[in-house]
Amino acid sequence: MSRFMIRKVAVLGAGVMGAQIAAHCANADVPVLLFDLPAKEGPPNGIVTRSLASLGKLDPAPLAAKDRAQHIEAANYASDLARLGECDLVIEAIAERMDWKLDLYAKVAPHLKPGAVFASNTSGLSIGALAAGMPPDRRARFCGIHFFNPPRYMPLVELIPAADTDAAMLDALEAWLTTRLGKHIVRAKDTPNFVANRVGVFSILAVLRHTARLGLGFDEVDLLTGPRIGRPKSATFRTADVVGLDTVAHVIDTMQATLADDPWSGHFRTPDWLRALIARGALGQKAGAGIYRKEGKRILVLDLHRQDYVDSGGEVFPDIEDILKLRDPAEKFAELAAHPHPQAQFLWSIFRDVFHYCAVHLADIADNARDIDLAMRWGFGWAMGPFETWQAAGWQDIARLIQEDIDHGRAMAKVDLPAWVREREGVHAPSGSWSAADGVLKPRTTLPVYQRQLYPDRVLGEAPAERGETLWENGGVRLWRRPDQDKGIGILSITSKMHAIGDDVMDGILESIARAEVDLDGVVIWHEPPFAVGANLQQVAQACHAQQFDLLDRMVARFQQTALRIRHAQVPVVAAVQGMALGGGCEFLMHAAHRVLALESYIGLVEAGVGLIPAGGGSKEFALQAHAMAQRAAGGDVFPYIQNAFQTIAMATVAKSALEAVQLGFARASDDIVFNAGELLYVASRRARALADAGWHPPLPQRAVTVAGRSGIATCEMMLLNMAEGGQISAHDYRVARAAATALCGGEVDSGMQVSEQWILDVERTQFVELLKTEKTQQRIVHMLETGKPLRN
Amino acid sequence: MSRQIQDAYIVAALRTPVGRRNGAFRHVRPDDMLAHVLRTVVAQVPGLDPREIGDVIAGCAMPEAEQGMNVARIGLLLAGLPAAVPGMTINRFCASGLQAVADAAARIRLGEADVMIAAGTESMSAMPQIMGNKVSINPEIFARDENRSIAFGMGLTAEKVATQWKVSREDQDAFALESHRRACAAIAAGQFAGEIAPYTARSHMPGEGGVVRIVERVVQQDEGPRADASAAGLAKLKPVFAARGSVTAGNSSQMSDGAAAVLLMSEAGLKRSGATPIARFLAHAVAGVPPEVMGIGPVEAIPRALVRAGVTQDDVGRVELNEAFAAQALVVMRQLGLDPARVNPQGGAIALGHPLGATGAIRVATLMAAMQRDTSLRYGMISMCIGTGMGAAGVFERV
Repeated sequence: MSRFMIRKVAVLGAGVMGAQIAAHCANADVPVLLFDLPAKEGPPNGIVTRSLASLGKLDPAPLAAKDRAQHIEAANYASDLARLGECDLVIEAIAERMDWKLDLYAKVAPHLKPGAVFASNTSGLSIGALAAGMPPDRRARFCGIHFFNPPRYMPLVELIPAADTDAAMLDALEAWLTTRLGKHIVRAKDTPNFVANRVGVFSILAVLRHTARLGLGFDEVDLLTGPRIGRPKSATFRTADVVGLDTVAHVIDTMQATLADDPWSGHFRTPDWLRALIARGALGQKAGAGIYRKEGKRILVLDLHRQDYVDSGGEVFPDIEDILKLRDPAEKFAELAAHPHPQAQFLWSIFRDVFHYCAVHLADIADNARDIDLAMRWGFGWAMGPFETWQAAGWQDIARLIQEDIDHGRAMAKVDLPAWVREREGVHAPSGSWSAADGVLKPRTTLPVYQRQLYPDRVLGEAPAERGETLWENGGVRLWRRPDQDKGIGILSITSKMHAIGDDVMDGILESIARAEVDLDGVVIWHEPPFAVGANLQQVAQACHAQQFDLLDRMVARFQQTALRIRHAQVPVVAAVQGMALGGGCEFLMHAAHRVLALESYIGLVEAGVGLIPAGGGSKEFALQAHAMAQRAAGGDVFPYIQNAFQTIAMATVAKSALEAVQLGFARASDDIVFNAGELLYVASRRARALADAGWHPPLPQRAVTVAGRSGIATCEMMLLNMAEGGQISAHDYRVARAAATALCGGEVDSGMQVSEQWILDVERTQFVELLKTEKTQQRIVHMLETGKPLRN
Repeated sequence: MSRQIQDAYIVAALRTPVGRRNGAFRHVRPDDMLAHVLRTVVAQVPGLDPREIGDVIAGCAMPEAEQGMNVARIGLLLAGLPAAVPGMTINRFCASGLQAVADAAARIRLGEADVMIAAGTESMSAMPQIMGNKVSINPEIFARDENRSIAFGMGLTAEKVATQWKVSREDQDAFALESHRRACAAIAAGQFAGEIAPYTARSHMPGEGGVVRIVERVVQQDEGPRADASAAGLAKLKPVFAARGSVTAGNSSQMSDGAAAVLLMSEAGLKRSGATPIARFLAHAVAGVPPEVMGIGPVEAIPRALVRAGVTQDDVGRVELNEAFAAQALVVMRQLGLDPARVNPQGGAIALGHPLGATGAIRVATLMAAMQRDTSLRYGMISMCIGTGMGAAGVFERV
């Protein structure tokens, strides 16, 4: 088989989804032609260019770096169809109308490149019916490719084969989506709404029904259906407002139209109150009002009894709050089912009906139970899928409770649980997950691409993950390796809470590197996200409280020493980064020999938020960078490079992606950016091996760094003075930022002076400790520890 | 009257249109703009032997990079003036263009020259950092409290002025709106046509087949004035320089590109070249004020210039008062009791733009055009505030 190569993608339809899919391809260095209708007025590509312009306004941002937009070319169906011949993959993402889609297919089919893959991003139309709209010789390379909104951030893509879809093509496409775009794939059957939306929309319908039945408030329900049960903060109704109430109604209508035989079909109708909201234009967030309405800082919620918006609040009944905190799921569900309070009845009911629905439909909609659970996690942000939640709570106990409710007419449909439910103790087992269609446990797919994922998301009940062989550990880190992988590469995992960096972690890193220099060829710093949230503030606060500033000075010195040890280790130390890498975490990764960054890495030096400056070598790194870049510039002035770094540090700017991290100077253009965080350890280990095999030696400490000095500090201070005089920053902000400027500029020496790396480290450490002595910085640290938020004082 | 041996007359004054920063003149160099106005102003007097030009004095507020290297000399050579003609660049920030006219006039009045050219050029597009391409502040500024205001940005000083003299946001916005209204009306009436030397801006773009595509665009009109400016639109803008301030992008001068040249002669020069004078240069004055309220500079400079000119404020029929900020312009007008109808009748820098060191010379061109149109206008004045705390004023008499 020839290599599956996608050199260019065409996206048909520049709506919200189409444009965002195009943006994500551009993030991944895949050039895109984005098509839509020719504009009736103005430039022919007007529809597409307007859509692209609005990408920049979306939050969270579809583009991982603004300049990626240049890789998306606007096109229209009237003049550019021939250019489809340049594209190896065509993703159709136009409105959900079968007739429109079929018309478009007929129009574009003659222009497709031979062998191009054509896939529809329909969220629920029949893939078989769409495939029939393609010429017969193209059907082998046609399938459904269902992204979730927002496509950059939602991991799930459902792949849906039609009858004639070529299996090898689908495998190759799955591999490409997984590695190149970083998506998590679930293979779905060609049934209406596929897997995630089928269950997810049913779940919303169940919430709607039981909210009405038990007379709960929408805000109350959102409190109950959010993080308390492992679902996103926007819970149910806020999510509906964000999605758009018209869209929600449309999806429900589609279910009504396409799932008439479903035993639950009687519930597939939009409630009258929701229709009324839509009728008067209260479509949710995009219309400024929906189920919720924002008035200044007040958030109002619709009250159905009063037919008006009232202050939102809502409370979880204390008993229920206690039940939800129970650690044992069996106990939790038993108590919810038994408790008479409407909130308990509500929660039990929504779980029961979703469990019931999934059990009955497992055979028709999915290959196995794992696919449903993972689809709900990846597509709807649930912490656990329905089957694993059920299984954790005790399979047969819950099954009995469900059957009782069915028998007494309390469940939403009077259809018995399938026989297999009673015959089993769960759906997930070490050897696989239950396939109701085939009556067997199905193991995970063996596609080669998944060998790159050493720790894939696991469902409850699956075989435990390989723990590896521990080489050394203390309370802060574990040095280990995987016997089934490269044994010469050690994995250094931070094990402290939130991966905060305290004494244990620093001791652990120093010891691990010392051991690696003897026994290993390279080290990868890797653990589940976050990479690290910075220094252990608790330790810092305690020392401040005890006025132990000498101790603090030694603590910072140790931080610096640890960073330098990472840089100057005799074996390559590769940082594998995903999630937040802030403060000290950022400084450590900046000192690594190489970085492998998940696209979704949020990196920054945020010390200013707690009234401090980067002093673990972070300020020094930017001074070094400025020196290196200035050497390439005529005149050799370092200040322009310092100025940008100063703004980044003074404003505690956090890069919102790995690409932005490179632009801001936290990472380098030569680092690896990995789109699928699951592949991070695999890639980082191989990078460490490659560095070792290429004859790694550490760089020497710099002894002659040109710094911006006193005039540089004064120039930064000019900006601060203007902001302070304009009331835009506080006196303490000024003081902190001036300290940052002092460190970045290498202290109060003359501009253009050459100093050693150690000199700059001494400056940043001195500035740091001086700030710690101030009352305002101490207040900021305490406030952060108590509230988790920065204090502006 | 100052002591002098002869009068200095303005014979011709021409300017480029003023482009918005990164607008029509985005890729036009300031030395090319200068060369253009020098060439066209000399061409106004066919009888002039260019070798008679005693000096070309050009004002520029950020004389570095594209406008560095003594841009006056570069510009005059690019304009094709004889190598025998010398040139120098001067800097008094926003008053540089007016200072150039004053210095050129002074040389004539002292008898050192019979023909002089004063000019100004500034491309703020070429200055991505408003304070110049390498900013480096003296640490001593922060060593003593009384020095700190040297480092105040211009917008901040406008806030200080607004606070100290209690200028409301509403008044500032109304002033800004009126500036746009007047400018648009003047453009519609063709009042700027006589003073503008249209400029053909050439863009060199990557074209098909590796060929550089040159796109020419003739710019003949100022880009700044907005016919769609509205009170509601201005009111929506957020303060830029202070958290609870009143100075916005809408009631501040625009950052711009432009150039102007003014041809001055003594009576002997007039005779030899056969030129007709428009106005006599009467007087010029500069004065210092505290840097933190630099915007009030004209309050000190204008009375001094009037005394030197021997005229009263009431005699002055037209004042071109640079609108660095509505706040400072309003305070200057209120403090001195200037008649709003006589100040900037064709709009000011809020609408027309403010290419720093060129503005003084540009407004001389505007005043000369007005004097040529309006024979009842006898005395006219140009004035502006200057960064780090100064004011300048020059008085002209129609002849």
